Amino acid sequence: MSEFGKAFEFILRNGEVPGYPDLPSLAHLALETLKVGAIGVAISIVIAAPLGIWLGHIHRGSFFAINIGNIGRALPSIAVLAIGDAFLGLGLGVVELALVVLAFAPIVTNAYLGVVEVDPELVDAARGMGMSEWEILRRVELPLAVPLIFAGIRTAALFVISTATIASLAGFSGTLGDVIANETSYHFSGVLGAAICVALLALTVEGALALLQRALTPRGVKIERRSRGAMADTVAAV
Amino acid sequence: MTAPLAAAGGPVIPNFSAHSSGCAVHNHLFCFGWVRENWGPVLWPALRQHVVLTAIAVSIGFVIALGLALLAHRHRWAERPTLLVTTFLYTIPSLALFELLVAPVGENIFAAEIALVSYTLLILFRNTLTGLRSVPPDVLEAAEGMGMSRRQTLARVELPLALPSIVAGLRIAVVTIIALATIVYTIYDRGLGVPIHDALGEGPFKTELIVAGGMAILLALLADGLLVAVQRALTPWSRIRERPG
Amino acid sequence: MTRSRRPLRRPFVRLAGTPAAVVALAFVLAACGSSKSSTTTTTTSASSGKPAVTIGAKNFAESNILGNLYTQALKAKGFNVSLTENIGSSEIIFKALKAGHIQMYPEYTGTLLSAVAEEKTPPTSEQQAYEQAKAFAEKEGLTLLEKTPFYDTDALATLPSFASAHSLSSIGDLAPLGKSVTLGGPPEFATREEGLSGIAKEYGVKPTFKPIAIEASYPALEGGQVQVQVVFTTDGQLLGGKFKVLSDPKHVFGFQNVAPVVDKKVLEQQGPEFEATLNKVSKLLTIPAIQQMNKAVSVEKQTPAAVAKQFLTANGLA
Repeated sequence: MSEFGKAFEFILRNGEVPGYPDLPSLAHLALETLKVGAIGVAISIVIAAPLGIWLGHIHRGSFFAINIGNIGRALPSIAVLAIGDAFLGLGLGVVELALVVLAFAPIVTNAYLGVVEVDPELVDAARGMGMSEWEILRRVELPLAVPLIFAGIRTAALFVISTATIASLAGFSGTLGDVIANETSYHFSGVLGAAICVALLALTVEGALALLQRALTPRGVKIERRSRGAMADTVAAV
Repeated sequence: MTAPLAAAGGPVIPNFSAHSSGCAVHNHLFCFGWVRENWGPVLWPALRQHVVLTAIAVSIGFVIALGLALLAHRHRWAERPTLLVTTFLYTIPSLALFELLVAPVGENIFAAEIALVSYTLLILFRNTLTGLRSVPPDVLEAAEGMGMSRRQTLARVELPLALPSIVAGLRIAVVTIIALATIVYTIYDRGLGVPIHDALGEGPFKTELIVAGGMAILLALLADGLLVAVQRALTPWSRIRERPG
Repeated sequence: MTRSRRPLRRPFVRLAGTPAAVVALAFVLAACGSSKSSTTTTTTSASSGKPAVTIGAKNFAESNILGNLYTQALKAKGFNVSLTENIGSSEIIFKALKAGHIQMYPEYTGTLLSAVAEEKTPPTSEQQAYEQAKAFAEKEGLTLLEKTPFYDTDALATLPSFASAHSLSSIGDLAPLGKSVTLGGPPEFATREEGLSGIAKEYGVKPTFKPIAIEASYPALEGGQVQVQVVFTTDGQLLGGKFKVLSDPKHVFGFQNVAPVVDKKVLEQQGPEFEATLNKVSKLLTIPAIQQMNKAVSVEKQTPAAVAKQFLTANGLA
């Protein structure tokens, strides 16, 4: 497979196409992709995580929290782009809208499940100790929910980064999508190289978040939840 | 623009706007006239093609994934490599995968379906295997005690009990593929991606954007709802377990 | 693989490799088969005893408008013709023509040379482009009828305010601005000879390039993301003075007049009036005329058929 070889050469050349010194470097495009994706995930976290956690805490809205996940997944990003275009016009705004919609579902569903599944006896015990609702949330439910909340964020990040390349379809340039959308300039090997970069970027971010999660998870939770890790991942990938 | 313009010897350019719908010219939020006009020639065919693209991909993907899951169920060693390969396929950016398949396969339905099928595998494989493995050991022992062969156990006990998980996987796969099929247009002129792309390319004409995008979303929601109904009809017992637990 | 310029309306729909063409042909075949049944039944003197003609058009608005114009004008003269719209890129539609599924389609002279004939050296004048394209067609048993006055090439457009602030009238006037000017264009403009390389070589213009999808050309220009933007000369949006097109005196963007590519045998069978009718239509198609028609279809959402009808009626050809 010489095309794979050429694709890796393209990556090692940092995206340079011989004869065209003015094209942006792969590293630059990857950073921009990361930035576009990070904005989308960040907005989603700010909206979706508190919503999911709150619903979980009050044990309400299971129908909403679980089905919003399905609805979010059902929205094809390019269709969101189209509808967004009708109201916002093309540009970074619609790209972020599409990414936020994409990230919203896994985050809200997992945050909800993380909190709602905390052993009710623990919560009752905490209440018995005279903790306020806020303290229960902060000191009992949230620490125990961290693994699932993070699983949701990780899934969201994975989706968002591989989808951020649609920016090139919405008139927003500067992401790795520019290379993927431009076989004429970059040739087959360049498109392949950029695709590999996107996949690596997504997996790297996922890995980094996994490490962060390990650091943030209270030790006791780690042991208790280990056996459920696989299950949590299945939920997350939904 | 009033009277037709006639340059010396040049063409008479009629006032086309006089025949345009006011709704389209002013780009109002929603022009029913445009939808009526375009339903037959553009929108309905695109919707039909979209359903066909999805149905083919999920059917083929299901057959392959079921085979792989049965293999991994019987022989544990097969699980890791299958997961590795299907996860890898799942993480390839979709725009790129379509583009990359053009050189070896061509701009045709085969390239489109190969890409779509490859995105169903991870979901269907994992859910099927999880379903098969979730059968409690005492149930299996009971089946054995009743003198069932391995094949009988699979057909009469394991697969039926795995059904909720399998249907859940199908649900995810169908919705995912409906979404992904909207970019098939990049290599092959079929599906709802065609009117969506046309809408993005022109205007911007709001009606076209909303209708084209909305049809893809509605189709996905409808398919999801339908599969939920199927799921419930097939597995009445699972309703009881439906959380919060 | 070179990408023909025009189908960029669908940035991803490229020139097809062989397998795709085969599928497309099957599709064309089916389409032709079904459209035959709906072929016009107006059998007047001109069509009596002559075989029916199927005209094809590529898959973007302008090509469909042209297809409708030629088809309707011929029908008005009593010829037995039908139209198959949205066939595909140049390579696909040319194969359909060679295979006899269609007998004629409107093609851009430059595209015929670069994408179909795979001619490496670009022509140096409008007339030369036409003659080279015609010579190529003749070799294939086809011919080109007369070309249209309008040409559909890339062009650089800017806002009138920016143009007057820097007294810009031709592309060369951008040279003194150097990197300070941002030029938007389809991504492949970055490496295309009829793109950044060309304007650097011919005009010494070396702007900061920003890839902008075709979809977003005009919004990018209006929104100030770019100061200069690659557009098409026949875009309906260029009407009304909202944008100024910079002239291209050195023809970096080539020559893209349209001429019907027709099977020679068909011309003989149909007689001189067939050819004369098509030439009459072509002669009317000036840049403002095609811009207005593109606008009516792309912006005001009329069908190509309705727009063609209005134009032919106004010019006594309907």
